[in-house]
Amino acid sequence: MRSPTAADVAPVEIDEPSIDTNLAIDRPWIVLVWNDPINLMSYVTYVLQKVFGYSNEKAESLMLDVHEKGRAVVSNGSKEKAELDVFRLHEHGLWATMQQD
Amino acid sequence: MAFGFKRTIQSKGPDRFIINLREDLREVIAAVCDDVLAALDDENSPGRDPMLRRVFPVAHASDESVNEAYRDLVHSDLLRTRREALERVSATARDTELDRATLETWMIGLNTVRLVLGTRLDVSEDGFPQLEPDDPELPAWALYEFLGVLVGTVVDALARTV
Repeated sequence: MRSPTAADVAPVEIDEPSIDTNLAIDRPWIVLVWNDPINLMSYVTYVLQKVFGYSNEKAESLMLDVHEKGRAVVSNGSKEKAELDVFRLHEHGLWATMQQD
Repeated sequence: MAFGFKRTIQSKGPDRFIINLREDLREVIAAVCDDVLAALDDENSPGRDPMLRRVFPVAHASDESVNEAYRDLVHSDLLRTRREALERVSATARDTELDRATLETWMIGLNTVRLVLGTRLDVSEDGFPQLEPDDPELPAWALYEFLGVLVGTVVDALARTV
């Protein structure tokens, strides 16, 4: 494993434009899955594999994040993609929400 | 000595599963699916009934405009796919052999029943409460536990044949 270089860690200077609500529409959305006491851990892992095509390892790691930290970001993208992802998770009974990142 | 125990779900490859369940448990499976179907039919605006809130969750933790748009967009689809899943599980509850698509429908349908029942029982992370033998909630908890074991068995059968 290499050591981090200055280029890796230096914050990128961005000239923040004034917030334009029309531009905000393009900001990517994230999809969260929340911990709940009903869904089985194995069930959540399997659903994440099935819905997103994630490997067993990735799905299990996300499931453990949900279980231990209370929630995990499972996907991101446009608002339309986030809505579709939330819908597919809801079809499987997972407690999912979306929000602008 | 063989006690005659069989795996509840035996996989014969990725698309063929043998279901070893007693007849009375098959009747329970069909009955609980029919119960939830009746609850869905009964409700004019599903998602408002607190018992169904986990079946029709909100899409955004706080933004009601996002939730409204999402409800308009998907609610009828969500209701339809739920109904189809529960009807399919009820119709195949007595089958001794299922293909993968049907077993996945069992997983989703039975989990839907758990969500409704778990909401009614106000299940928490603490798990099974201490109940007296004559507690009126005991049968519902026993059913909830049975469905949990069954969903776990279905998931295991699907996961080991991915």
